[in-house]
Order: sequence, then C-alpha cells, then structure tokens
Amino acid sequence: MNQKESYQNFMQQLFNGNQLFDKPQPLEGVRILEVCYVVLGPAACDYLAEFGAEVIKFEGQRGEQMRFVTPFAYFWKNLSPGLQEQNHNKYWVGMHLGHPRAKEIFLDLVKRSDVVVDNLTPGRMKEWGLSYPELREINPRIIQLHVSGYGSWGPWTGRASYDAVAQSMGALSPITGFEGRGPIKSGVWIADWITALMCANAILGALNYRERTGEGQFIDYSQVENVIRFLDWTWLYTSKTGQDRPRSGNRDLAVCPSDLFDCADGWVALAAFSRIEFEGLCNAMNAPELFSNYPEPTDRLEDKAAREVLRVVGEWTATKNAAEVEDLACRHGFAASRVLRTEDAYSAELLKMRGSVQTYEDALYGEMTEPCYPPQLSETPGRLKWAARPIGMDNEYVLTKILGLSLEQVDELAKKGVIFKWNPQVPSHCPPPEWDGKRGVKYP
Amino acid sequence: MAEQKNAQASGYDLEEPDLEQDLLSDQNIVGMAINREYARWAHQDTNPDEVCGKPEALDDTLVIDASHGSFAGLFASSILSEMGARVIRIEPPGGDLARKMSPYGMMIKDTGLGYLVEARNKTHITLDVTKPEGSKLFKRLMKHADILIETFKPGLLDRLGVGYRDLREVNPSLVYCAIHTYGQFGEASEKFAGQPDYDIVNQARGIIMSITGEPELDPEVSNQYKKPLRQGNWMGWYVGGAWAAFGIMNAMLYRRKTGKGQFIDCSPPEGLLAISNYAMQYYHMSGNQMPRAGNYDYAVFPYTYVRCKDGYTFISGFTDPNWTALCEILNRPDLKGMFPTIKERLNPENQPKIQHEIEKFTTQYTSEEILQFITEYSKRADKKGTVATGRLETPTEVLQRDHWRERQTFIKVNDPYYGEVLVQNSTFKAMTRTPGRIKWVCRPVGADNEYIYQKYLGLGPTKLGQLKEQGVI
Repeated sequence: MNQKESYQNFMQQLFNGNQLFDKPQPLEGVRILEVCYVVLGPAACDYLAEFGAEVIKFEGQRGEQMRFVTPFAYFWKNLSPGLQEQNHNKYWVGMHLGHPRAKEIFLDLVKRSDVVVDNLTPGRMKEWGLSYPELREINPRIIQLHVSGYGSWGPWTGRASYDAVAQSMGALSPITGFEGRGPIKSGVWIADWITALMCANAILGALNYRERTGEGQFIDYSQVENVIRFLDWTWLYTSKTGQDRPRSGNRDLAVCPSDLFDCADGWVALAAFSRIEFEGLCNAMNAPELFSNYPEPTDRLEDKAAREVLRVVGEWTATKNAAEVEDLACRHGFAASRVLRTEDAYSAELLKMRGSVQTYEDALYGEMTEPCYPPQLSETPGRLKWAARPIGMDNEYVLTKILGLSLEQVDELAKKGVIFKWNPQVPSHCPPPEWDGKRGVKYP
Repeated sequence: MAEQKNAQASGYDLEEPDLEQDLLSDQNIVGMAINREYARWAHQDTNPDEVCGKPEALDDTLVIDASHGSFAGLFASSILSEMGARVIRIEPPGGDLARKMSPYGMMIKDTGLGYLVEARNKTHITLDVTKPEGSKLFKRLMKHADILIETFKPGLLDRLGVGYRDLREVNPSLVYCAIHTYGQFGEASEKFAGQPDYDIVNQARGIIMSITGEPELDPEVSNQYKKPLRQGNWMGWYVGGAWAAFGIMNAMLYRRKTGKGQFIDCSPPEGLLAISNYAMQYYHMSGNQMPRAGNYDYAVFPYTYVRCKDGYTFISGFTDPNWTALCEILNRPDLKGMFPTIKERLNPENQPKIQHEIEKFTTQYTSEEILQFITEYSKRADKKGTVATGRLETPTEVLQRDHWRERQTFIKVNDPYYGEVLVQNSTFKAMTRTPGRIKWVCRPVGADNEYIYQKYLGLGPTKLGQLKEQGVI
C-alpha cells in the first residue's frame, strides 16, 4: 500500500471543504465591538470574524477612510477594494461614540459583548468615558484591546502612526532592499496586517484565560513594537557587533543558499541549508565539488563563501526554466519555487479546494472570490459570509435584534442624528447603483 | 465628592506630580498624550516592572514543539510561551538546524542569533523520532501534551507511525498543528512533499513578494532591480508562525468548550496571500494585477519615503486637505495646481515627479528638522490638514531611543550559559491581567533531558544513558 497516498486521502477527508458550513466555528458566541478605522484595527477584528466572532463595526458620518483608499482611484459597484480587503462578515452601524446618547447605547452593548477593540488615538476612548475602568465597571468579563503606533504611555505616546511609519520607525524598511540601493517599503501595508494578527492573538490569549477564570482584561498593543518583534536576529546582531544589519536583497544572510535567482524564464526562489539538502542541490547541479567545498551549513554563511555559492547556483539556474528547478528540488530534496502572482493564486483550484481562497455570493455585490484567513482548521474552519457594507446598513438589525430597541426608537435615534446611514452624494458610502432597496438588508 | 468617588472607582485616582524629578519621570509617561490621566493609568496597569508575579494566560497548557529548521514553528511556540504555556522543544540529537541559521555564521556557544531570539521560556530535550525507540517515546510524551507543533515534510511523522491519526488515538483532545509551505493536503502538498520549508520560498509563493520591490513603472530604475524582493526579515516564517498560533488558540478555545481536539494545517504562503492588501479583490473586480510600486503607493500618495539630509524619512499627504497642508509646508502652492485631485496623485507616471518635487525640499533638511516643521504646522490655527512623518531608523538608532527603553521593548538577559543576550521583549507585556514575559532566553541542546524525561515518562539516569548510547537522545 502506498503510504503517502493514504496520508493525502486521510487529510482530504479530514478537511472535506464541501462541508464548510456544516462545521462549527471556534468563536461562535463571541461578540466584538469594533471602534476602528483604516487597516490595522479592522483587520484584527476581521481575522476573528472569519472564525465566527460577531463583529459590530461603528463608523463615523464621513465614512471609514478606506472607502476612499483604492488603487488608481478605482471603484467597483461603488465599493472600494481597499475597504473590502479587511471587512468581512461584519455588522455595520453608523454612529459616532462622541455623542452622549451614542455612548449610552454603546455601553448597553458592552454589557452584552465580549471584546472591544479600538485603534483611535490613545486616550480618545477615555475622553468619551469608554476606557477600560469604565467598561469593566459594567462588565467585568469584558476584554478591551487598544492598539496604536507607540502604545498608551511613553515619551512618544500620542504620535501618529501609519503602516509606512511603523515600517520605518521599527527598521523593517531600512533592512529591506537590494545591496547598495535604498530602503524599500513592503508592497503591502505589512505593519498593519502583522500587528493586527498579533492583536488577534492577544485577544485569543485573553479569551482562553477568561474561559478558565471568568476574568477579562485590558490589552495595550504597540504597532512599532510589533514590527520590532518580527525582525528576528536584527537586534541581537546589532547589540553584539555594533553594526547595522545591511540590506541584502533576496539573499538571506543567515541561510545559504537562500536567494531569488534568475532563470531562463523568470525567477526562482531556492534554498538548501542542511548538509543533505545542499548535497541534493549540488547533485542536481552536477557540481559535487561545490558540496565537498562547503558541506557544513555554517561554513557557507561566511560572506565570501556565501557569495561564491550563490554565484555558482545562479549560473546554473540561468540555464533552466523555473519548472525544471522545481522538479529537481522535489527529487533532490531542496526547496525551490517560482514567484507566484495574484492571478496564479486566484485561478488555483487547489487553494479553493483547501479553503484558503473562497468564492461566495454576496447579497449586495454578487459573486466574490477572495482569500479566507488561514490556517485550515479541520473541525472549525474559517469562512467568508458577506462583504463590506454601506455605512449604517445594519443599524436596525443591531439596535433591535441585539440591543432590543423597537423600530420606532431606532427611527427616533436616526432623526436625532445619533445614528446615520450612507450619504447618497458620496458613491463609496452607498450600495451598488442598481440596488433595489431590499437585497442584503438584515432587518427589517 | 461624587466625582472624586467615581474617579477612584474607575481607577483614575492618580494625581498630578509636583516634585521636579517626578515631573521628569511623569513626562516620560505622558509623552504627547491627548489625555494625560489615561497615559498615567495605562502605565500603572501595564508597568513592565510589575509583570512578574501576575498570572499567565496559558499556564495550564503543555506544548510540544518538534519543529525543525523553521522559524515559523519557533515563533508559533514563542507566542504561546510568552503567554505562559509550558513549551518542550524536541530537537534531534545534533540540535535543530535552526540553531545554525545565523548572520555570517555567528554563533554564541552552540547557537546562532536567530535561535537565541526564539527559544524563550522553552525547555529543550533531544529525541530522534526516526528511530523506533524514539517514536515510541514521542508517542508517550504526546499523551501529556495539549498541543503539538511540527514542521516536517508532509506525511513524515505519519510514516513513522506518529502522525495525527496515531496520536489522536492516544490523545483525542490533541491540537495538532503542522506547518509547511505546501500544506498537508491537496495537489501541491503531494507533488512538493519532498521539499523542505524555507522562508524565501514562503515569501515567493505568498504573492506579497511579486508586488514588493523597486518600482516597475519608474523609467529611472534600471532593469536589473526590477524584480521581486523579499521583506528583509523572515517575514514568511514569522507570519506563518503567527497564523499557526492564531489557529492553535482558536482550537484551544473550542477545546475548552467541547473537549475536542483537531488538526491545523498551516501553510505560510497562504498566510501571506491573505494579507496581500486588496491584490486579489482588485483582480477579481478589475481583472488587473498590481505592479511593484517601490516606495510609491498607487492607492494612497504621497505616502512615501523621501531622501533627507541624514537618511530617509516618511512623508504623507494624500487626501485633498492633507495634500494642501503638505504643499503649504513645502511652500509649493504650484504643486497643488499640478496635481489637484487623488486621480492625478495616484497616477503611476506622476508619482516619481511628485516624489522629486518633495525631495527638492526634504534633502535640504534633517529628518528631525522636517519633524519640527510638521509639528509646528500641526499647531497652526489655519492648518489645512494633517501631514505625518517618521524617520527610517537604523537598528542602532532604535536601540538608543528613550521611548523603547522606557517601555522595555528590548530586554537584556544575563543567561548562565549564553551570557548577556539582548532580545526583543514579548509584545504581550501590556496585558493588564496576564502580561506576556520572558523568563529565560534559551537552553543548550538537550539541557532539559533529565528533568523532562523523568517528569513525564519516569525515565531515570540509567535508562537515559542507554537511550543516549543508542543515539535516541
């Protein structure tokens, strides 16, 4: 019997993607109040929303900034792709918490919620009377997370941060780029996404602790500290040598060979560090002398040796297509892959089968195909249910079904301007142009 | 009176300091806070000096991290260990390959710099799982574990008889997390099962690399640099590890409610794909793929790094009011006329031009002077919008900043074996009830064999000696 095949079959049965919606969600019953805008805060809540948390998002009258941040000023059915990327499965309420009546409503919701997340200026929630001591007073189980660039105290607290500032202040961009060239910003808002991920992890740690003890807590999280945390050996290296980590392009200074090499039809990423992996690579290259010169991984890391090894490997890959190198890697036990582009991931049946890319039909926007957050959980997988929504689209649903107000009371709040909906003059606030006034409305 | 009582009940009972030295230390706490009372409260309740002695979120959890040659596995277990989980690292008798991954091969005793950062709070044992006796011991250990993390080639442990289907027999509530580039099921997992997991390949398959690098559309950039670029750190591994921890804590929460374990399949490239901005959404909507933009940004600009007298600094001014503000700071009203709306500013052809115009100004000043201009402007009553800046800090500079020193963003551990080691602190240190922490930084290969094998499997020194002779530990 072929063991490997049977492992594959076993795994495929375990994950059976067709039954996605028949499986439970790990965060079912966890209600999160999202007082966030742009990417970082909304992404932290989005990760949790795709694993079953019920996220209620509060938005100001001018609208989330991401309603206006979109590549080449491109909008699709009035929707900004920049808004869509980190807003799934959420309930959208148009309400500004600075309003006294809004504050009361918010506090009533806090009594029925598990987590409050904000990425406003540190202290803003306190100005509104919504900081942790006040929330804890009415719900001791509440977990509140605040995230900002520099944290809630310290000489730089209160300084504004953006993703690119966190990348620069935390030294990620300064170590990214080709040798002898300038620093390069990530192609994505990476400092937002990775900080959001660690915020979600902090919340999950706190939820696990609350499950044990019933106790909530406050979490203060700093974006720049998070970037610093992700920079592996950068700091220890500087503290030991007094030198700054140089930009080294795609070459990994701590693993050799590990680089992006030119090949006949593009590029191939390749790595082979252990003795046996490197021997495999050298066999594939038919270069046994390279292996006998540098069998020991650490010997290859010395700068001169590393450049020599990378040169020889690069000369070899230049004669091959990426697919050939990939095949040889599988056979000889080293790592190699072409660089995948968006189109490759979008059209990969494999990723859809795995659930890391999902297609669903949104009531407002129709068919959507997007990444769903990993990892793949066999019993409680993540899932996409619906897309981002116009401002205030779920006011009625949240205030009646969750808070227990009558529709008349909700109307009254709207008349007083405590809650609000999209401005018809601003297309990216609005439902799609052809919307019939009914589709996608959760209540009434 | 009622107000005072309220303040006390809410925890805001901290008074303004009056002594001079207290004022100085108070200034280091309140910084530029909009609400000083809040900053003082936050400092009091998340004071890094008072972390030890507070409870730990996951100290009821036993993690076995059998990862090999992967900082994704190591970072996942670091996250759990900072939150208090007891982590047992299993290395092969020669030590984990990851211990050798160090810049220019720099070692401190038996261990490289990368590993010294991600060994925090972990006990270290050795075990050769490929030997029959080794896999038997592995299975026995797994009876005690809540979580397993492994990064072997897909199916390897299964072939040794200690894969998920074997382990769940002996431990049905086990949370089993496998991390590998190609995942554990599907065509790629099968086809590429012979390949090990490396950061560079994770980044290459994670889409993000295809859109990071010098700007493809800028005619001034030479073609040799127009290629994908990795993020300078081990971003593929660190993001993969953070997602693994995310999956694990979700699974643990579910297990606490239901008693059920499960299998977690973590593929780091999928972790990067999922955070590649709007790349896929935009492709779905428009059929277009994003080009590499370098320090430009085709969704928000100016939002860029510019050269200045002493390096580089960040400058933003995207929305119409903020762009107006930036043009006022640069004293260039003509720029506003040239690029009046976001349509012009998001045009890839215009962005190098705008960049050059901004740099004409910024190259005359230091990053500190630019910060001063912007700060002064932000205080003007007639300001038109907000402009942000931030220096591109070198690691040396970061290590010297008061802000990070006050917050203990780094800690220096005096390890009995490795000596003085400076590492980045837990970023969960500001959880009020269960702050994350570093208790020790690393252990030599096999340093906890005696303790762990005695504690969990009852193996004394004689038996351990035999296992050592057989090459099992």
